[in-house]
Amino acid sequence: MKHLARHLPHYLPLLGIFAAGVLAFYVSSYDRIFQTGVAIAVAVSYVAWGIVHHYLHRDLYLAVVIEYIAVAALGLVLVFSLVLRS
Amino acid sequence: MKFAHRLAHIFWPRESNNQKAKILHSSSLIIITVVLILFQGFISFFPKFGPRILGYAANISPDEIIRLTNEKRVQNGLAPLSLNSTLSQAAQAKGADMLNKDYWAHVAPDGTQPWKFFTDFGYRYRYAGENLARDFTNPASAVDAWMASPSHKENLLSPKYKEIGVAVIEGDLAGVDTTLVIQFFGTNYADTIPPAPIAQVTPTPVITSTPIPTQVVPSVVTATPIPLPSPSEAAGLTVLTAEKPTVLISPFNTTKTVSLAIVVVLLGVLVIDGVVTSRRRIARIGGRTFAHLSFLGMILAIVLILKAGQVL
Repeated sequence: MKHLARHLPHYLPLLGIFAAGVLAFYVSSYDRIFQTGVAIAVAVSYVAWGIVHHYLHRDLYLAVVIEYIAVAALGLVLVFSLVLRS
Repeated sequence: MKFAHRLAHIFWPRESNNQKAKILHSSSLIIITVVLILFQGFISFFPKFGPRILGYAANISPDEIIRLTNEKRVQNGLAPLSLNSTLSQAAQAKGADMLNKDYWAHVAPDGTQPWKFFTDFGYRYRYAGENLARDFTNPASAVDAWMASPSHKENLLSPKYKEIGVAVIEGDLAGVDTTLVIQFFGTNYADTIPPAPIAQVTPTPVITSTPIPTQVVPSVVTATPIPLPSPSEAAGLTVLTAEKPTVLISPFNTTKTVSLAIVVVLLGVLVIDGVVTSRRRIARIGGRTFAHLSFLGMILAIVLILKAGQVL
């Protein structure tokens, strides 16, 4: 919890981005182009957030960047596989 | 025992996996991503080579589509559309054409415009519109999807249209058994012509006592009779409906189930990882567990929100 509280100023904008992403998907039902754009924007924001966050905490390494990219890519594939099939 | 160790290695932070569940390692995440892409490729290409068991089961009636469309129009202060059987036949022909030529578009690959179907069936339109839907399981979700799309909503709520024809056709599209909904809107040209003015001939003094007849100016547009398809031809369109296989596996629902399973497993492992590393006070180089949890939580919400069905 102490760890969470320490990073709260960074986590709040991240949660805001994710909440906006979910809202955008909810509002734009069946608009595949918009949903694809939202998914890419959120995934890129997530990776960018990770890089900035770890840079500010002085623990930014290539392995960390790859981890964020891997999680974002997995999330994108999960969403795309449904958006493009819906 | 070896199996239990293997499972623990994959799902539990321990020494063997450098205090981080193997499934959360970047290499594992990349492998899962690649497997998912291959799985999607398999679902897409399987119908071309394997048995036709992929499809979308639906229970959609044209009457219900028309009722719901008119309901939306009335709610928006518009007059309801009247059913025109010629438009329905034209819509049926459009659906059959899509299945025959295996396309999902307003314009066929050979350049055939949707308006051709209107005129083929003798519908002389002043205004015409087309809404398409596929893969929906019920009429309400198809109409809701049209209402959610600005261009389709514009068609649905256009005051220009007076008539509607709807066809629901089942068949094989790109190897997947699906249900197509074709909604044709139109306003007959004849309905838009103002009543012909009646020219009154000024009565002139006549010598005879015979009354002069009223002269009616003939209508400007002469209705050209266009041959309508015979009932057997119209009935023949339904023959194009493909036989439904007994086993239908929805590609969307299968993908959704797989996606949900992956996200839930990863979320579970991330929670375990967060709790265990926090308790053991393990310091390691890596991404923030809370950030990954939030991101995957968002993905879970999106996967749950997404619904099957496409509109065009």
